[in-house]
Amino acid sequence: MTDTTQPLLRVRDLQVTFGRGRHAVSAVAGVSFDVFEGETLGLVGESGCGKSTTGKALMRIVEPSGGLIELQGIDLIKQKGRALRNIRTRMQMIFQDPISSLNPRRRVKDIVAEPLDCWKTISGHERDVLVSDLLSKVGIDPAVYGNRYARQFSGGQCQRISIARSLAMRPKLLICDEMVSALDVSVQAQILNLLEDLKREYGLTLLFIAHDLAVVKNVSDRVAVMYLGKICEIGPADALYEAPAHPYTKFLLGAALEADPDSPMHAQVLEGEPPSPLNPPSGCRFRTRCPNATQRCANEEPLPQEVAPGHQVSCHYPLSITRK
Amino acid sequence: MSNESEKLLIVNNLATTFSTAGGPLPAVSGVSFEMLRNETIGIVGESGSGKTVLSRTIMGLQPRTNVVVTGSVLLNGNEMVGASEDFKRGLWGTEVAMVFQDPMTSLNPVMRIGKQIDESLRVRLGMSKVDAKARAIELLELVGIPSPAHRYSAYPGQLSGGMRQRVVIAIALACSPKLLMADEPTTGLDVTIQAQILNLLDELKERLHMSVVLVTHDLGVVATRTSRIIVMYAGRIVEIGDTRDVFHHHRMPYTRALLESSPKVSNASHTRLTTIPGRPPNLLKLSDGCSFAPRCSYATDRCHNERPELQPADEPAHSFACWNPLPTTRGASA
Repeated sequence: MTDTTQPLLRVRDLQVTFGRGRHAVSAVAGVSFDVFEGETLGLVGESGCGKSTTGKALMRIVEPSGGLIELQGIDLIKQKGRALRNIRTRMQMIFQDPISSLNPRRRVKDIVAEPLDCWKTISGHERDVLVSDLLSKVGIDPAVYGNRYARQFSGGQCQRISIARSLAMRPKLLICDEMVSALDVSVQAQILNLLEDLKREYGLTLLFIAHDLAVVKNVSDRVAVMYLGKICEIGPADALYEAPAHPYTKFLLGAALEADPDSPMHAQVLEGEPPSPLNPPSGCRFRTRCPNATQRCANEEPLPQEVAPGHQVSCHYPLSITRK
Repeated sequence: MSNESEKLLIVNNLATTFSTAGGPLPAVSGVSFEMLRNETIGIVGESGSGKTVLSRTIMGLQPRTNVVVTGSVLLNGNEMVGASEDFKRGLWGTEVAMVFQDPMTSLNPVMRIGKQIDESLRVRLGMSKVDAKARAIELLELVGIPSPAHRYSAYPGQLSGGMRQRVVIAIALACSPKLLMADEPTTGLDVTIQAQILNLLDELKERLHMSVVLVTHDLGVVATRTSRIIVMYAGRIVEIGDTRDVFHHHRMPYTRALLESSPKVSNASHTRLTTIPGRPPNLLKLSDGCSFAPRCSYATDRCHNERPELQPADEPAHSFACWNPLPTTRGASA
């Protein structure tokens, strides 16, 4: 790749292995991608594909077992102790379950102020002003709700509070792990719009991890599709959805249900279930369910190849891309 | 056959009210609809709209205490409201069966799946041990479980989520029910597995001549799989009609808001979503007017004070509850 702009986050051959020896599960098996400043990279895949583990490994909530993670040129895996804590302020994570990710017995304004209190970079008064400002930005009136407890809020409101908390340290990168999947559609739309507004206002870069293809497309500039611990396709959101190059992406999109009674019933449904990551297939990991698989797919692991500018696919037989 | 016997389910003015510390909570009120044999109907709504309580009330599965059910549920000629536990038990399995949402918790984790299917066959149909086992294996095959004879003695923990949901469906089908209630049958499953399960339900419905009620929050699930849709809000039906009419010619502003607020795969990325301001109402503090009025941009004084009843739309069998309905789009749309 000949990108002139320096990526904000550079991930190379990231590996996460749980357990040892015979019981070792390689949840993330060599994932590489870049996230550029100001963009949203969507990471989609089915459960067990390693998308959440990837997100957590970037934060070093789970320890990567190999690879490189570089945030603004600093190697995160080599950092430890105070230096690691320092760098972590530049990246924040928002979790799936909004209610359990907040302490139910703490007041909302204290939850949002916690990162500020840890670092004590600003005075108490400045802190209060900033907390009120953050709460109003996410649509929660600080004067009315600031002193309430987290348990008094609905899921959507809790997710707003989580967003306010994650913005307190002015991070560069926000990792959103299934942040809207527990919400009703009407609330989900509110949160997604809020996220887009805040991204613009705070100049955020997002890694948006989710299983819902429609949601991911809505927020992302580029999308990466994961299957069994590896990225099988990555490319610009609109192009990837319009003309998927990897057979798995095509099946995934075919299975997505469109809220339209006239949408065609899926001609092909992907049969079977993903194989166990304890014992992944040789070669291409998708070959056991792929209708186009040949002997070559079993012998040789496909390497990422460019099918269009910025659109890479790991498949020996990529589907033809219709160029416009 | 007379017209009446074509109707499998007749729900009339059904209301389910829970007594809570905060006062009576009307989870379902004034619900009336009918269902034909061999029909699939979708019930959609957000959490708290009463769709799950409605489906459980139809089955007669409400708790024994602290609940008042009024109205009538006529299931294949049998009145479910006020019926004794024994009477209802006689209908469960053979007349109506349910597929619950969470396949992880609706199976007994320490009982082999074969036994869990056998149970209803032996108790309800009085089959012998050998016959029941043969039938259970047949059912496992029917729902698409590979090597069913081998899986018969597996424990739920040895199966994936999609496989467990297939087992739950097999249990529901054991006594050939006429009506299958599926409450969020695919929520929590991956998209590719969701497509498999929905296709399976479709196929089984045709093969076994069942009627299916598909309860879901996901409009994508009901769009291509149902002939009619019921949209619920705050415990009431706000719009009901043929699936195409509800999607393309909806008159109730809530239906439109629900449709427009879900992101679509066919939209370009960064498409701004239409949102519904506010949140669903507190069922303990419902106003006399339309429950959606506080969030509705078309609301007038009348909406806040007087509750709209269901009224017929232009299309047959399509009705909506709204004082200021959206203009009819019939003829205007492509």
